[in-house]
Amino acid sequence: MLPQALREVEGGVKLSLNVAVRLPKLVRAPIFESFLRQVYFTGVTAATGVILRACALGVIIIAVMMNMLDADVDLAVKILLLLVFRELGPLAAAVVVILRTGTAVSAEIAIMRVSGQTRALRYLGIDLYDYLVLPRVAGIMLATAALTFYVQFLAVLGGLVLSPFIIEASFEQLAGRFFDLFTPVDCYYSVVKSLLFGFVVAACCCWHGLNPPDLTQNAVPKVVTKAVMQSMMLVLAVNAVFAYLVFGILFFGLIKANV
Amino acid sequence: MSELALRYSRSTPRHDVQVSVPQGAVTRLHLPDDDAKAHLVTAMLKARTEPGEALELFGESTAALDTRQRERIRSRIGALSPIVGLMTNLNAWENIALPAAYHGAPALAAVAQLAHEVLAAFGAEPRDFFARVPDELGTLERKIASFIRLLVAAPELMVFDALEDGLSHAECRYAARFEAEYRARQPQGTVLYVDTKEDS
Repeated sequence: MLPQALREVEGGVKLSLNVAVRLPKLVRAPIFESFLRQVYFTGVTAATGVILRACALGVIIIAVMMNMLDADVDLAVKILLLLVFRELGPLAAAVVVILRTGTAVSAEIAIMRVSGQTRALRYLGIDLYDYLVLPRVAGIMLATAALTFYVQFLAVLGGLVLSPFIIEASFEQLAGRFFDLFTPVDCYYSVVKSLLFGFVVAACCCWHGLNPPDLTQNAVPKVVTKAVMQSMMLVLAVNAVFAYLVFGILFFGLIKANV
Repeated sequence: MSELALRYSRSTPRHDVQVSVPQGAVTRLHLPDDDAKAHLVTAMLKARTEPGEALELFGESTAALDTRQRERIRSRIGALSPIVGLMTNLNAWENIALPAAYHGAPALAAVAQLAHEVLAAFGAEPRDFFARVPDELGTLERKIASFIRLLVAAPELMVFDALEDGLSHAECRYAARFEAEYRARQPQGTVLYVDTKEDS
């Protein structure tokens, strides 16, 4: 168990370094094409599916705060901002990316590995990191950041536009407070976090796809399950570390930073 | 005496395989079984041997090659083999153009020109052919796409691994055209047909 975990950590680190070193190769035609496909699949095609969920997220946050917890407009909007921009927005986008793209990428690469297509690529002189890993990692990172922004925008818009129908606060009141409280730091924070989320999801799924437990068709579902579970754990771990670095607290205040 | 494009030997408890292929010649090998065939083709494609094997390609032993030399020697070999299949998530044109697009040479216009010429020789309609993914292509069509991809790299040693496997009698008649198309572009090239005794 431990050697396997160490092998996975070592593999993940090597994969990350390989991607970083090869970044300039992204401009090569087939790699850039693959990158664009990945952005399209992860970012664009997922966008329509999150409209309703993101809007509902904003409405629920404001409605719960004001109706159930008796918060005023100021507190409700503050919590909407904190939750949507700093926590739930990047997390919701990461979950969508794991469920849609993580499964697809890990299965696709595992099938290529099992059916000998990765071997064929090597015989053609094509590096697997260049052609399979780099465009997927870069594409998923960019698309996760874009999807996060989209989820945040829709959640805030949904919260501000639809909440007046179920609580006693007007759109002008909510929007006014929102723009008073909003700072660019919220944006930077979520962009960096979503890029990291995208990176860990892509790296984890590519690594598992390239390293199936055996070379039979049965290995594919095992790879997908492992990739999804580990991606989820990694995203939560990154989120916790980020919370510690930015707010100085971890695990709901159990661990506090000395700042 | 002409130089050898390939010299290969492998000893196992079941059988010994000794192969010598002169440069520029057409050679047909009937190996004892699929395992022996797979070992030979893999050794050539990797320019690397396993214990019990010895391999010389174009007069150079592969035993002491460094990575760069191995890459160089591998680039001189092409194998139309099930071992080097097509990418199932790319259509025929993307499969054909992938190595050229990745390595940056030859130009895609030249690849397209070559592909059109070969498809015309096989009587295939390029627009329809290029648009289909491997699962939508027949066995012969998949071999044609792989063959064009190989021709783009202009290999000096062309290996046809079990060329007639999976082809109907009518399609087998087309198999001779592979060699003719290769010869038309590489008159000095070496052709090696490999199959097993059970196949032949």
